[in-house]
Amino acid sequence: MTESILFFFEVLVGGLLSGTMYSLVALGFVLIYKASATFNFAQGAMVFFAVLSFVGFMEYGMPFAVAFVATVFLMILVGMLTERLVLRPLMNQSEDTVLMATIGLGFVLEGLAQAKWGVEVRKLSLGIGDFPIPWIADNLKLFISALDLTAGLVALVMIVLLTLLFKFTKIGLGLRAVADDAGAASSIGIPLKHIMLLVWSAAGVVALVAGMMWGARAGVQFALIELALKALPVLIIGGFSSIPGAIVGGLLVGAVEKVLEVYIGPYFKGGIEAWAPYMLSILFLLYRPEGLFGEKIIRRV
Amino acid sequence: MGTSSSNILEIKNIEVAYNKVILALHDVSLIVPKGKIVALLGANGAGKSTTLKSISTMLASERGEVTKGSINYDGFEIKKQTPSEMVKLGMVQVLEGRRCFGHLTVEENIIAGAYSRKLSRGDLNAEVEKIYNYFKRLKERRKSQAGFTSGGEQQMIAVARAMMAKPKMLLLDEPSMGLAPQLVAEIFHIVKDLNEKEGVSILLAEQNTNIALRNADYAYIIETGNVMLEGSAKSLLNNEKVKELYLGISKGKRLNFKDAIRDSQRKKTN
Repeated sequence: MTESILFFFEVLVGGLLSGTMYSLVALGFVLIYKASATFNFAQGAMVFFAVLSFVGFMEYGMPFAVAFVATVFLMILVGMLTERLVLRPLMNQSEDTVLMATIGLGFVLEGLAQAKWGVEVRKLSLGIGDFPIPWIADNLKLFISALDLTAGLVALVMIVLLTLLFKFTKIGLGLRAVADDAGAASSIGIPLKHIMLLVWSAAGVVALVAGMMWGARAGVQFALIELALKALPVLIIGGFSSIPGAIVGGLLVGAVEKVLEVYIGPYFKGGIEAWAPYMLSILFLLYRPEGLFGEKIIRRV
Repeated sequence: MGTSSSNILEIKNIEVAYNKVILALHDVSLIVPKGKIVALLGANGAGKSTTLKSISTMLASERGEVTKGSINYDGFEIKKQTPSEMVKLGMVQVLEGRRCFGHLTVEENIIAGAYSRKLSRGDLNAEVEKIYNYFKRLKERRKSQAGFTSGGEQQMIAVARAMMAKPKMLLLDEPSMGLAPQLVAEIFHIVKDLNEKEGVSILLAEQNTNIALRNADYAYIIETGNVMLEGSAKSLLNNEKVKELYLGISKGKRLNFKDAIRDSQRKKTN
């Protein structure tokens, strides 16, 4: 009996921790959604672009830290160019127009990354193994991957930082104001240019961190783009505009897919991990469309 | 018409086109003297909002452009400035339809208005308190989400938010829109108060001719992008044409709707 409970916990904790990886990707989406009210289809490509460039810089012989800083600057540059070449010309256009533009941006980034760095799968070693931590395995009899645990901690730090930024700083207030009504924000002197630049750069850095975690697990490859789309159910469940929502949504998706896979999967001959999160998100769309933490849509009647 | 130094805003013969083809303003000239309230009156689509947006430079983001004429504000010409630069120079527009940040609290909305200024936390709190003295109703609701406040409160938030930028000049676009007469009166009372105590000059676009003329010093009436009539607010209140066309009063008595229609039909045939 205790064995099976312990096993359940192991599955649950494993799921929760791998869920933090989804959360990390979802965070990037939330940032952009908060400022532009757009689902950024290019976020997956940004993850791919960022981590591929990072690995590329390392192959040039840069040390880890230098390559990291270089990639951060590269992502800020991408943010600047996106603001100047894509967002500014589309200012005051409908959200759908911007959405379409992000799809295009995604293709451009994918293409650029592969043109520069090639298409083969790269290995990325962060010096953290994807195997159970011996101390926890011995003492608690739980098998928890060190990589999962690190990803969890990194996600936690990012969330705390971003939440503080949004809630308590002037620029955070500006960001939320722009998300609500960009025109009104501009009318009281909030410079949209700076806000957009900041958000896209931040999303770029988040993409890099998410890409590093995923890259360390699954290899740096094109499939990361599809993996990033797992953020969609995460966002539907957590709420598109909420940072805590991205985290809880990610945890929930991670836990649910692992638990269902282990306990119900056999009845379906396995593989339900791939679609269970989407089923869950459909339930949310039906009964709680704003997600767990999303802002309720306020409409005066 | 005073000397240029006593006017905070001088617009000379501006023409405005959207998308380079749709002419919204043909020829609009107007002057706002320092510390005064000037009303810009006219029906829907007359060009009131376009005039205000060409001053605050919000026009560019709607693909509009001043194609002729000049706008002088506080001693220099408005050309390629961005809205946020204009705010720094003390020119703030309160957009039509209130446009509060619905998910922010009332107080966050007000604080956001000071975004362009560098204030210490203490100074900021003092400014917020000062604003609450004008907008007492908002203080009671400071912690509510702005999206859930009433239309009148939202209009107050919009004006309070703009005042936090410490404007020398405020552009108000239809503050009376969709509000009950009592609330309209309350808002105009506050606007007048701000004008007198804070010395802020105001250009006010309104469809509600009556209340606008009662609160303004001077007024311009525009139709289809041209200034048709101008004068002191008092003279316009007593002007027969204004009475008939904008206030619904004819020869001392109130026109009813049927007469007004018959009247306008007769005018067309003449």
